[in-house]
Amino acid sequence: MTEAPPFAMTGGRVRLDGREVLRGIDLTVRAGDVLAVLGPNGAGKSTLIRALLGLLPLSEGRTEIYGRPPARFKDWKRVGYVPQRLPMGGGVPSTVREVVSSGRVARQSRWRPSSAADRAAVDRALAAVGLADRQRESAHLLSGGQQQRVLIARALAGEPDVFVLDEPTAGVDAANQEALADTLGTLVAGGRTVVLVAHELGPMEPLVTRTVHLDHGRILREESPLTPRSAA
Amino acid sequence: MIEMLQYDFMRIALVMAVLIGLTAPAVGTFIVQRRLALLGDGIGHIALTGIGLGLLTGNSPVLGALAVSVLGAVAIEVLRSRSRSGADVALAVLFYGGLAGGVLLTNAQGGGGASLQSYLFGSISSVTVTDLYVVVGLAVVVLGIVAVFGRELFLLSQDEDVARASGLPVRFLSVLIAATAAVTVVIAMRAIGLLLVSALMIVPVAAAQQVTRGFRSTMMLAMGIGVLSAVTGLAGSFRYDLPPGPSIVLLALAVFAVAVVGGTALRRRRAARGALGRAGATPARTKVDAEAEMLGG
Repeated sequence: MTEAPPFAMTGGRVRLDGREVLRGIDLTVRAGDVLAVLGPNGAGKSTLIRALLGLLPLSEGRTEIYGRPPARFKDWKRVGYVPQRLPMGGGVPSTVREVVSSGRVARQSRWRPSSAADRAAVDRALAAVGLADRQRESAHLLSGGQQQRVLIARALAGEPDVFVLDEPTAGVDAANQEALADTLGTLVAGGRTVVLVAHELGPMEPLVTRTVHLDHGRILREESPLTPRSAA
Repeated sequence: MIEMLQYDFMRIALVMAVLIGLTAPAVGTFIVQRRLALLGDGIGHIALTGIGLGLLTGNSPVLGALAVSVLGAVAIEVLRSRSRSGADVALAVLFYGGLAGGVLLTNAQGGGGASLQSYLFGSISSVTVTDLYVVVGLAVVVLGIVAVFGRELFLLSQDEDVARASGLPVRFLSVLIAATAAVTVVIAMRAIGLLLVSALMIVPVAAAQQVTRGFRSTMMLAMGIGVLSAVTGLAGSFRYDLPPGPSIVLLALAVFAVAVVGGTALRRRRAARGALGRAGATPARTKVDAEAEMLGG
């Protein structure tokens, strides 16, 4: 049996405040892809992945997650979304571990307390991003690169099949970019599907199997680099 | 303290104070993180119309307040999610409508100033055993909701998009937290009064977050501060013949002031230690510190 692809958008258009931000996107993300969405600021990269996840409605066209429109998609534990940053909100602090543990929510019953399996998954996620020794610290007091790793760990803790990362390297120094690329390499080696938005790929470049160049809400070109999964 | 326990109404009031001190900051932690600090205040205004309706129709003012404030909270949440720009004015309309409606209805009933005053600013001496049962029941509901939905509400208050992409029922949870805040307003209304209820949802949380590192520890400490201010404020108001609501709120504010000073000192000390470590002046620099620096901490 062949399964529907993780994401499939046909003729996708998105309008934000009266302006057309995506103008007719056809894009299928297949299982095992490591897809990078590239393009200048304002090209619509973040809008595209938010639309793929159903966080923004399409004004035209359709999009599906594993064969179902987002509104009728139920199996959210297969999807791990890593946003650009950890919002401050009203300033109530949360520890690194609390943030990472919340990634388990799609796998938990609200009527049961966290299980040993939940805690083990959180431990693994913290270890994978190298933050196990800082799990009791306040997540908001970490550096930008470390916060980014906290957010990746949150998605990792949910053990999804597909990761969607919005600008994971934005504002992250070189050392932390290497650390991020290492973490991504582990995911890719495990056969996970990855969709990421980036300004430039940097140390993540060897991992990427497909790139999509976006400009003014359209796909300019698609490329498949010759050295897929070289780090795997 | 012993002396005040001889009075029935004070025993009832003390139990209420503990329940208010526990529930208001528990809900408040989510409210503060969602940047809805004034939500409780708005619900308090709306609840007044419920009290007026209850008095006018000869029903329990508490049940009237409960029904109208929960409906109001749901309306606020719907307005908020519909539009960002219009919501501000729509909320104001709802708040002032609630306040004006409440004053008119209470007057029409003939109770006038005295009974209105007792709901606006709280009146411990008039609480009955029936009030207590209602408050106990509502407190169980509120704490139950926090226990069962806590993990989901935590993620919702962290990041709504991530909550949605985790398959959480975001709209339901938003209405749930607003409705729970409304129930909390009704719990606290007899003792603290509608105009000050919101303070006990927000101020203990604001105090706790000055010194804590985590969400759960903030909530626990805020509940501790809530119980401390409620019980001490009540005892003080009995001893010195002061109104209980303002006494409780001023005590919570005093704790907040201490926490701000303490928290600033704490952070300054941590920062100073960090600076010394970076200058290499202290031999006691640990491996963790070194790693933290390497990672850009």
